Amino acid sequence: MSSVAVIGDIDTVTGFKIGGVKKGFIVEKDEDAKNALNELIETDISIIIITEKIADNIREHINKKIGSDVLPMIIEIPDKFGSSDRDVDPMGELIKRVIGVEMVK
Amino acid sequence: MVQETIEGINPTRMELLNLKNREKLAVKGHSLLKEKRDALIMEFFNILDRVKGSRENVERILQEAYDDLTAAQVRMGDLAVQKAALSVKESVDVNIDSRSIMGVVVPVVESKIESKTLVDRGYGFSDTSVKLDEAAKKFEEAIKLVIELGEIEKTIYLLAAEIEATKRRVNALEHIMIPKLENTVKSIEMRLQEMERETFVQLKMIKSSIQSKS
Repeated sequence: MSSVAVIGDIDTVTGFKIGGVKKGFIVEKDEDAKNALNELIETDISIIIITEKIADNIREHINKKIGSDVLPMIIEIPDKFGSSDRDVDPMGELIKRVIGVEMVK
Repeated sequence: MVQETIEGINPTRMELLNLKNREKLAVKGHSLLKEKRDALIMEFFNILDRVKGSRENVERILQEAYDDLTAAQVRMGDLAVQKAALSVKESVDVNIDSRSIMGVVVPVVESKIESKTLVDRGYGFSDTSVKLDEAAKKFEEAIKLVIELGEIEKTIYLLAAEIEATKRRVNALEHIMIPKLENTVKSIEMRLQEMERETFVQLKMIKSSIQSKS
């Protein structure tokens, strides 16, 4: 049994707290987000929910820490201002690279 | 086309046998890897069906949840919402198991999210708005979907990485290793035949010189 944690801005964390996820890290600076992530990886948290904006800012750090490990799972979600406009949809890009043609959407 | 061969191999029969064995092994490995790649891609397609639209779904529900939360904040004030949030009980519990798809370990998440009634949530009613209840319900729903999405995306990510690695190996075997081995085998065979002819000619010459002396 392991649990879920959230890293995000104050509204996201409050929202998830209401939903029943008690471990929330309110971060504003990238440095805080990195520290929170490191702390969470050391404990046995298996799912980390993180807002897209923060994840984009510390992308390199995440890739370095997680790599291709199965756990913990990092899930990126949009914050209350909607999803960030990305030039490329990473999942679509990945699928295109693997299959060779665009499949979904 | 440049016929690439493996360098530093002596044209002997022993080496020829070794190389032929290696070639056989490479061909076998190539066909096995190809099968693995095809099986992985089939699994990948199965999971693609599940991911279709699920991200949009999560984003839509989250957006609704955020809207309700904002409404609650407007009615009750930021602090009151945070206070209420603090008194909500932890209710999300996940059990992570793993499953192996052609040797790729992927997570299987079993989430236990109790659907709660108003009373179970733990905050008081006197100073909270009904919007907060709605937001809580939406967030509970959203969390479930988010975890599901995470599982699917992680699986896709892991499978994709494995497919890429397998593809690279298949291609390396098909386009570099096997042709190289074939060429080397051919060149050694040719070299051995050449040597045979040389010896034959030498023997003929020796024979004729012996005959002419006697």
